[in-house]
Amino acid sequence: MTDIVRADKVAFHYLQDGRGLEPTSLSIQPGEAVLITGVSGCGKSTLARCITGIIPHLYRGNLQGVVWLDGMQTTDTPLWQLTERAGLLFQNPTAQMLAPSVEEEIIFGLENQGLSSATIQKRLEGTLDRFSLQALRDRSPQMLSTGEQQKLALAAVTAREPSVLVLDEPLSMLDSTAVIDLITYLKQVIHSGTTVVICEHRREYLDLIPDLQTIQLDSHVPSGTTIPEINIPKSTISDFRLEVSDLGVQLGGRTVLQSLNFSLSSGQVIAVVGRNGVGKTTLLRTLAGLQEHQGSIMLNGKVGRPDLGMVFQNPDLQLFNATVGEEVLYRLPNPDMIYFDWLLEALELTRYVETPPLLLSEGEKKRVTLASVLIRQPRHGILLDEPALGQDGGHKAMLIRLLRALAASGMLIIMATHDLTLAAQADHLVLLGPDGIAADGPTSEILRSDSPWRRLGLELPGWVRTPE
Amino acid sequence: MSRRWTLGRGRRLSLARHSPLRMADPRVKLAIGLCVSLAVMLPVERLIAFMVIFLIFLCWARLLDAIVGQIWRLKWVIVVLFLVDWWAVGLDLAITVTLRLVLLAGALTLFFATTTSAELRMALEWLRIPYRYTFSLSLALQSVGMLDDEWRAIKEAQRSRGAWSSPSGWRRTMGQMRNLVALTVPTVVMTARRAWSVTEAAYARGFNSPNRRSYHQLNMHRLDWFLLAGTVVIGMLLLLWR
Repeated sequence: MTDIVRADKVAFHYLQDGRGLEPTSLSIQPGEAVLITGVSGCGKSTLARCITGIIPHLYRGNLQGVVWLDGMQTTDTPLWQLTERAGLLFQNPTAQMLAPSVEEEIIFGLENQGLSSATIQKRLEGTLDRFSLQALRDRSPQMLSTGEQQKLALAAVTAREPSVLVLDEPLSMLDSTAVIDLITYLKQVIHSGTTVVICEHRREYLDLIPDLQTIQLDSHVPSGTTIPEINIPKSTISDFRLEVSDLGVQLGGRTVLQSLNFSLSSGQVIAVVGRNGVGKTTLLRTLAGLQEHQGSIMLNGKVGRPDLGMVFQNPDLQLFNATVGEEVLYRLPNPDMIYFDWLLEALELTRYVETPPLLLSEGEKKRVTLASVLIRQPRHGILLDEPALGQDGGHKAMLIRLLRALAASGMLIIMATHDLTLAAQADHLVLLGPDGIAADGPTSEILRSDSPWRRLGLELPGWVRTPE
Repeated sequence: MSRRWTLGRGRRLSLARHSPLRMADPRVKLAIGLCVSLAVMLPVERLIAFMVIFLIFLCWARLLDAIVGQIWRLKWVIVVLFLVDWWAVGLDLAITVTLRLVLLAGALTLFFATTTSAELRMALEWLRIPYRYTFSLSLALQSVGMLDDEWRAIKEAQRSRGAWSSPSGWRRTMGQMRNLVALTVPTVVMTARRAWSVTEAAYARGFNSPNRRSYHQLNMHRLDWFLLAGTVVIGMLLLLWR
């Protein structure tokens, strides 16, 4: 059988920073489902772009080797012709929304195929039905939840009926239920005979796809080495207790958080888990003192705002200096340089100290923002919004070891995450639902109980409960 | 297949869904906007007369609230401009310039409160403006509403890592300059990144295909013809009224 995708020693290095993909060869048969995996920065996204022809048509850099897509050499074929054969779904669902309504999002790609209005109408209705999007057809894509946006992006790409569907880290921004929804739709796509290529380092859920072939990309990038030994500066405050009573937040007339009551002790790693859009980020912003709220936040029984540094989900919000070193040390009059060196080593950033942070990968940028918050040694702890985004298994393990070390020094670590592998390693779990906290307690206890997860519509896969 | 054009809401400015102009053809609304913009050339007493007609039209279109709201947001610009013109030239000019500014703001709000970016794109395509430009313009308009949220998020993010300060005294200017850098660099980076992501997503769905065929057709209905006739008559009167 003829290969539908074939790459012969394809390598690509971006002009800006020389990163990219080392020589890789692969061949994929029609109808196959293939997982391309490897550590962060090994070139999975670059390979996805090479297969679909986005590289070299939209990116400048040094390309070697050859890629054939359905018999066409990607360098010699116009991009629009390649996109008729291969659809590409990107990692960030919000960033790929380009129309003012759900139905327009689907129509956009169909118009570009030059189809008749009758055919477009037929494919539009079929796609809206297949992906259960009829009720949302007039909604703005920007107003949808992240899970709905990823589903819409998949719908918009598959409506064009490509022979090959390439997905670049499609699961990284989704909660567990949205991931399982997406995999259900992917199984339908595979069943219809479409070749599916998934570039992803989160392998857990992908085991649900039958007959998935795996291609492992090699990398020279280190992943999650051991944290160097150091005495982390002990938090300058003695043990404390953070008590939250009747916390409520309204945003634009909409109730985002209501009647939250919980108390947390210093020296713990806490994970806040909930569906996309349930208010996890708002809770962190409130604890950081960035959001007006009802109810009270008390420290050791007295009203007062804890000093908690916050690492935001999107690292681009916090980075603006010329080098990683300058970024981390920004506006620090007397920085602790021993702690600085340790932080960079612990977060595997030492070799980037003179590199502009904006040239780093998403995972590395997140680690720079974490370093820039930790170097200030916030008195009570840190808040992390989706810290696992862009981190492969090794870096996630490194992250949790670092967080544990910080907690051992007396800090309170609160992370909002939909990555259940990471959440399962916290000391304490808070399950957040639309009506408040559904469960709150030691992680092992919450993982043993089914009902709160079911109540929130969250899937709790077996491998989270019984980690290897 | 042609059908009545309906679209979802955009984020940039809430659509006045209750307005009868919401379902009007975007080409007609462009013509109305052009006619109102032409009126700024009228001398002050005729300008006032035109504004009365415009006001009645806005009441019919149920857009008075939306337009007053937008003009209220410009209040300080209007007040400063009025005072500067009054001080520099005289009261007559100050009144004329202010009325012109209000009228222009009204014309723009009338159009954008009742038209989505996709409808604007179709109207511009009908005017033979190439698709790549009309598509870029509609994307830019869709993004406007996100800028405000983005600025606020960046400010919060910088504050939370201690990179934002509110200094006083002689350090104030220096502090504000640093804050500006901390705000501007991420804004530029994020805007450029978003623009690139959307470009990539568009090309990945065949944006540059020479075979593109538009699914929607613009159709003139009875209301559109009536509005167009009224606009042409008023436009002619404006041109002939000397």
